[in-house]
Amino acid sequence: MMSHQRRTVSAIAALLAVGVLAAACASADPNAGNESTAASFTPQPQDTNAKITVWTDSTRLASVQAYQKANPGVQMDVVTYDGSADGSTYLQTKVQLFDRTGSGWPDVVFAAPTDVTWASQPTSPSAQAFAAPVDQGLVPADTLKNFAAGSLAPCQFNGHTYCLRNDIAQVVLWYNKSLLDQFGYTVPTTWEEYQALGEKVAKEHPGYLVGAIGDTNSHESYFWSAQCPAQQLTGPTELRSNLQDQHCTKMASLLDGLIKAGSVTTQGFFGQGFAKDYGSKVLMAVGPSWYGQYLFNSAFKTPAGQIAAAAPLKWQGESQAHTGNVGGGVWMISSHSKNLKAATALSSWLTTSDDNLASAPTYPAYSPGAKAWLANPANKDYFATDVSTVFQQAANEVWTGWGNTKFSDATAWSSVVLPAVTAGKTLTATLPAWQNEIASEAKSVGYTVTTQ
Amino acid sequence: MTALDTPIVAAPARRTAVRRAREGGVSGPLFVSGYVILLLAFGVLPTLYAVFLAFTNARGQFTGLNQFLRVFQDFRFWPSFGDILVYLVFWLLLIVILTVGVAVVLRSRMPAPLSAAIRFLYYIPGALAGVASVLVWLFMLDPSVSPVNWLLKGLGFDTFAQVLAPGHLSLVFALIAFWTGAGGWIVVMYGALNNIPQEVLEAARMDGAGPWRMALHIQIPMIRKWIVYMAILAFAAGTQLFVEPQLLQTASLGRVSPTWSPNQLAYVYAFQHGDFNGAAAISLVLLVIGLLGAGLLVTRSGLFKVDEQ
Amino acid sequence: MKRIIGPAAIAVVLIALLAFFVLPALWLLLAPTKTAAELTSDSPLSFGSFANIGLAWQHLTSFEDGVLFTWLRNSAVYSIGALIVTLITSIPAGYALALTKFRGRKLLLTVTLIVMIMPSAALVLPVFLELNVAHLIGTAWSIILPFSFYPFGVYLVYIYFATSLPRELLSAARLDGASEWQIFTRIALPLATPVVGLVAFFSFVGNWNNFFLPYLVLPGSDQFPIQVGLNQLLSSTPSFNPVAGAGLNITSPELALAIIIAILPVLVLFLFSQRTLVSGMLAGATKE
Repeated sequence: MMSHQRRTVSAIAALLAVGVLAAACASADPNAGNESTAASFTPQPQDTNAKITVWTDSTRLASVQAYQKANPGVQMDVVTYDGSADGSTYLQTKVQLFDRTGSGWPDVVFAAPTDVTWASQPTSPSAQAFAAPVDQGLVPADTLKNFAAGSLAPCQFNGHTYCLRNDIAQVVLWYNKSLLDQFGYTVPTTWEEYQALGEKVAKEHPGYLVGAIGDTNSHESYFWSAQCPAQQLTGPTELRSNLQDQHCTKMASLLDGLIKAGSVTTQGFFGQGFAKDYGSKVLMAVGPSWYGQYLFNSAFKTPAGQIAAAAPLKWQGESQAHTGNVGGGVWMISSHSKNLKAATALSSWLTTSDDNLASAPTYPAYSPGAKAWLANPANKDYFATDVSTVFQQAANEVWTGWGNTKFSDATAWSSVVLPAVTAGKTLTATLPAWQNEIASEAKSVGYTVTTQ
Repeated sequence: MTALDTPIVAAPARRTAVRRAREGGVSGPLFVSGYVILLLAFGVLPTLYAVFLAFTNARGQFTGLNQFLRVFQDFRFWPSFGDILVYLVFWLLLIVILTVGVAVVLRSRMPAPLSAAIRFLYYIPGALAGVASVLVWLFMLDPSVSPVNWLLKGLGFDTFAQVLAPGHLSLVFALIAFWTGAGGWIVVMYGALNNIPQEVLEAARMDGAGPWRMALHIQIPMIRKWIVYMAILAFAAGTQLFVEPQLLQTASLGRVSPTWSPNQLAYVYAFQHGDFNGAAAISLVLLVIGLLGAGLLVTRSGLFKVDEQ
Repeated sequence: MKRIIGPAAIAVVLIALLAFFVLPALWLLLAPTKTAAELTSDSPLSFGSFANIGLAWQHLTSFEDGVLFTWLRNSAVYSIGALIVTLITSIPAGYALALTKFRGRKLLLTVTLIVMIMPSAALVLPVFLELNVAHLIGTAWSIILPFSFYPFGVYLVYIYFATSLPRELLSAARLDGASEWQIFTRIALPLATPVVGLVAFFSFVGNWNNFFLPYLVLPGSDQFPIQVGLNQLLSSTPSFNPVAGAGLNITSPELALAIIIAILPVLVLFLFSQRTLVSGMLAGATKE
C-alpha cells in the first residue's frame, strides 16, 4: 500500500517535471491558425448530373420536396436537421469534422445568420471556407439587388456575399386595434409617444401591457430598433460595443420607466404560462413580423380582425426610421459542391421564386417574393388592417449597425441582463454588466473590442 | 468437489499447480482481449490524441502549457469551477447518502412486491435521459404551469425566471441529476446488499443487532467496494456536469449560461470556436481532478485489491 | 415510542421521494391527453381526453412520413447490436480481472478507470477520425462499435466477481484440473446471472439514451436513433422554437407522446429484468 502510494506520487511528480520543462522550452503560439484568407475559392471539378445533398430543417422540408417534385430530373438527397435553431451548433460542428476528414459536406444548407460568420472563413489552416461566395458567378447581381435593403448584410464578409437570405423578421409595432379603439388611444409613431402611452395605460388600465422584455431576443426588438451600438462591426475582427451611447441609455430608461409603471413586463411573451395569464391583456408589442401569426394567432389565440401592425417607432426628431430584426434564416451553397449549378438553382428557387415564397411561413427577404407573399390572403386575413405597406417599409429599414457576430447576441442578454432584471435591478444599472459580457465574449472568439 | 486433504493428492497437485499457473497466465489475457481491443480503439487512443491536442496548436506545433494558460485566462473558466464546487457538495451528499440509505431500507423488512414496486417507480426518471427530460423540466420549474407550483410559490418563486436565478442553479441541477441518476444506483446498491451472505445477517440478528446497527456496522461496510465505485463515478460525473445545465439551457430558452459548467465550456470550445486544442486542455484539467478523487478513493479503500488465494 | 418514530420517519422520507421521482413522470403521462393550450391552462395533473391522444399520435406519426418508427428501429439495432458485443467482451474481461492473475491486471484496471473519467468532449473528434479512417462513417457499425466499449460494465463484473464469488469453488475446480474456460462457463457464469443482467440492462439503456455520439457521427436523419430524433422534434415544437411548426403540428403534447414512446422500451425492460438484476448470487446457486 505504501509503496503503491509512493509510486503514484513519484509518477505525478515526474509528469509535472516534464510539463514544466516542456513549457520552459520554446513553444509555439497556441492561437496559430486563426487567420482568415481571401474570399475566392477553387471549385471542385463540376458534374451537372451529380447528386446534391440538401440539409434543411423540418419547416422548410416541404419547400425542398416541392422543388424535387417540380424538377424530377435533379438528383437530391434531402436530410433534415435542427436548422441551427435554439443556438444549436450542429452545422458548425459537422462542417469542422468534414473539413478534418476531407469529405461529406452537404451542397445546400439552411442555417442561421450566425453560421455565415464561421462558414465564410476556413475552419483550420488546411481547410477551405465552407460557404461559396454567391456573388462570384453563381447568382446574378441583379437578383442580389432585389433583396430587401440590409437583409444580405449578415451574409457579407470580406466584401463578398456568402448566403441567400431566406426570410427576414423586421420589427414593427403590433397593437390590438379593437382594444386600442376601445380605450380611445392613438397609435404612437415615436418612442416618446410610446412611452407616454405606456404610462397612460399603466394609470388608466392597469394590468394591460404594451411590451415585454423577458424573451431571449427582446433586446433585438428594442435596442436594435433604437440603434444602440451594442455590437457594431467596424471591421472584419473589430467590434464596437458602447452601451453608454445615448441610443442605449435612452431606450434603457424608457423601458425602466414602463417596467416600474407596470405596462412593460419583465417576463417573456413565449413563457409557458404567459398566454394563459396575460394573453388577452397585450395591448401592444414591439416585435418582428412573425409575431402576427406565431404569437398572437398561435400562442395567444387572439381572434382574427383584432391585431394590426404599425410602422416601426423612431426617435423624435429623426427623419429616417430604423428598426430591428429578430431571426430569419439563410441558405448557403457549399464551396465543395460538385454540382454548383444544381445547388444554386435550388437555393435561388427557394429564396426568390414566387412559387415558393407566396406560401412561405414567414416574410421573404426577396422584395418581389415578399410582394407575392403579401398578395396571398392567407398571410393577411388574420389582421385587422392591411399590413403590406408597414411590412414592406419596415423591411427596408433594418439598421445595419447591429453586427452579425461569431457569438450569439442572445447569450449576454439572456444570462446576464434578464436574471438581473428578474432580481429587481433596472436596465440602466445593468448596462455595464451587459457591455462587459459582450466584450468578454467577443474577445474570447477573437474580436478586438472598442468601447468608444 | 474433491476431498482436499488426502495426502495422496500431493503429486497430481504439483502437476495441476503448474498447469494452473500456466493457464492462469494465458487465459487471463485471452479473456480480456476483446475488451482490450475496444479499450484501445475507443478509450486509450482517443485519450492519447486528446493529450496530444492539449499540448499542440491547430497547426500541430508543440505549445507546452500555453493552451492551459490560455484556457485559464478565459473569463468563463473560473466562474464555471466555482459553480461546480457548490454543485458537487449538494450532488455527492444526495447521491451517496440517499441511494445507500434507500437501498438499505428497501432491503430490510419490507414485503418484496412493495420493494420491487418502489424500486421501479424510483427508476422511472432514469429512463428520461437528456433530451427526453427537457420538456418535463420546462413545465416542472415554471410556477404558472407546474404540478408543484404550490411548492415553488411557497419557496417564494412566482415566475420561471425567479426559479432559474443564478444563485439557485447549483441546487436545481443537483436535484435534477439526483432525480435522473438515483434510481439506477439504488438498484445496484440493492443488488450489492443482496450479495451479503444470509448467515452473516442471521448471526448479527441473533447477536441482537437492530436494523440501524446492522445497516451501519455490517451491511454498509460489506458493500464498501460498490459504494466507493459509485463515489468515484459520482465525483467524476459531478465535475464533468454537462447534461443538466445544457438541457435547462434549452428548456429555459437561453436563460442559463451555455458555459455554466467547465465541461460545457469545453464543448463550446470544441464545437463553437472550433478550438479542439482548448477543449482538450479543459478536458485534461477535468480528468486530473477526477483522477485525484478516484486515486484518493481507490487507495483508501483498496478497490483494486482482490483476495489472493 | 422509539419503535414508531423510526419507521414513521422512514415512511415519510420514502413517500416524499416517491412524489419527487414520480410526479414529473405522471405529468408527462397525462400530457398527451390534453391539447397544447389545455396543457398550460388546465390543472397540471388533470386528465384531458382519449381523443387527444389519438390526435397527438396522428400528428406524430405523420411527421416526416413516419420517421418516428425509423428512429425507433435504429435505436433497437444500435442498442441490441452493441449489447451483444458488450456482453461478449465485458463479462470475460471482468472475470479475468477479478479471478485470474496475469501481468498488467492492475494496469488494465487503472487505464480503464482513467478512460472512464476522461470527459467525452475531447474524445469525440479522435473517435470520429478513427471511424472515418476505417470507412465506417454512415454505417451502423460507426455507432455499434463505440457503444460496445463499456468500461462501466467491466468494472461492475469485476467488483461482483471480486466480492461475491467464493474462492473455494474456484480453487477446488482448478485443482480438479478444469481449464479456465471451463471454470468460467460452468461455474462463474451461471452464478453471474445478476451481474450479467445488470450489465445488459445498463448497457442497453445507456446506448438507448446516448445522444451525443450518434448526433455527431451519423450523416442523415434516417439513421438517427430516437434520442437524436427527439431533439429534432424539439426544435420543431413552438414551445422551444416559436417560428417552427408551420403545418408540422408538433406541439408539446405530441412531443410528450414521443418521449413516452421513446422511454417505454427501457421501462418495460426494467420491469422484466428487475428480479434478475437485484437477486443475489447465492439466491440461485446450489449450496455446498
